[in-house]
Amino acid sequence: MLGRFAPGVCTQVTMGVNQQQNRNMATLKAISMRLKSVKNIQKITQSMKMVSAAKYTRAERDLRAARPYGEGAVQFYEKAEVTAPEDEPKQLYIAMTSDRGLCGAVHTGVSKVIRNRLMEPGAENIKVICVGDKSRSILQRLYGKHIISVANEIGRLPPTFLDAAKIANAIMTSGYDFGSGKIIFNKFKSVVSYTQSDLPLFSQKSIENAPKLAVYDSLDSDVLQSYMEFSLASMLFYALKEGACSEQSSRMTAMDNASKNAGEMIEKLTLTFNRTRQAVITRELIEIISGAAALE
Amino acid sequence: MSAWRQAGLNYINYSNIAAKILRRSLKPELRTEALRRDDSHVRITPWTDGRPAHLKSKAA
Repeated sequence: MLGRFAPGVCTQVTMGVNQQQNRNMATLKAISMRLKSVKNIQKITQSMKMVSAAKYTRAERDLRAARPYGEGAVQFYEKAEVTAPEDEPKQLYIAMTSDRGLCGAVHTGVSKVIRNRLMEPGAENIKVICVGDKSRSILQRLYGKHIISVANEIGRLPPTFLDAAKIANAIMTSGYDFGSGKIIFNKFKSVVSYTQSDLPLFSQKSIENAPKLAVYDSLDSDVLQSYMEFSLASMLFYALKEGACSEQSSRMTAMDNASKNAGEMIEKLTLTFNRTRQAVITRELIEIISGAAALE
Repeated sequence: MSAWRQAGLNYINYSNIAAKILRRSLKPELRTEALRRDDSHVRITPWTDGRPAHLKSKAA
């Protein structure tokens, strides 16, 4: 019983001591401890920036190779003028994020788009698939009932096509019959900017009813089904790559800012540290001198 | 209907198997690079009613 209560008592006592120290000039030690910890934080953020810079260059190279996959699939939908069927209200939204934080607003941006959609009327027909733990943790509390699947372990390594294939498989075998849908992801624009963008998803039926499907030659439902499956996987792959690239670039800027802020803090702390040290020395000198003067 | 679809595969499974075989049959100097693209770590959990499905079945 005593052991259980002791920690509370201890914290109270140490708090009292700290307050006393703050009133005296003994803050010198506290400042130097603070200084040391801020310096360590700066070291960490700096190295995180270096790591994400390296990862970013690779992600950007990968993204350039992955772009045709996504663009090709979107072109098909545009050329065939596929539209969402009106008689099928069920929709599927896929949130493309990753497991890792400390990268600015990439995850909140994607989740916010979905949250806004879920707040509109007709939300009961929308189901969400969260790719990456971050969007899940943002959406699960208020909109947990809309989530039908969660994919994680994303962001540690660059995404592969096999990852996209697994997610696509999960979507197709989930048993959820959606009429249309959207993949929400961060589209990479430059090192310093990205925007939330979306890719369309359609059911096979809505593609078969597309008005301009005839521009494509020799399509039967078998070919169409195979193509649909492939285009789902390749769009997911493209979205994963875009997301990974924006995430790394955003982490780079975030960590750069963090290092800069830590630098500012270090400057201020060194200044107060030196000032306090000087004050302590001066006070001690005064004490010694006045003591000596009193003895005479 | 093609044979692989009759066997219960969809196009993604089918093309992944084909890709795997192709990667394995590459020349050794190209194979190491290609095999690096051959793994996936994604884990997928189905959810029902706001919680992971397997947790719910355990609780019930």
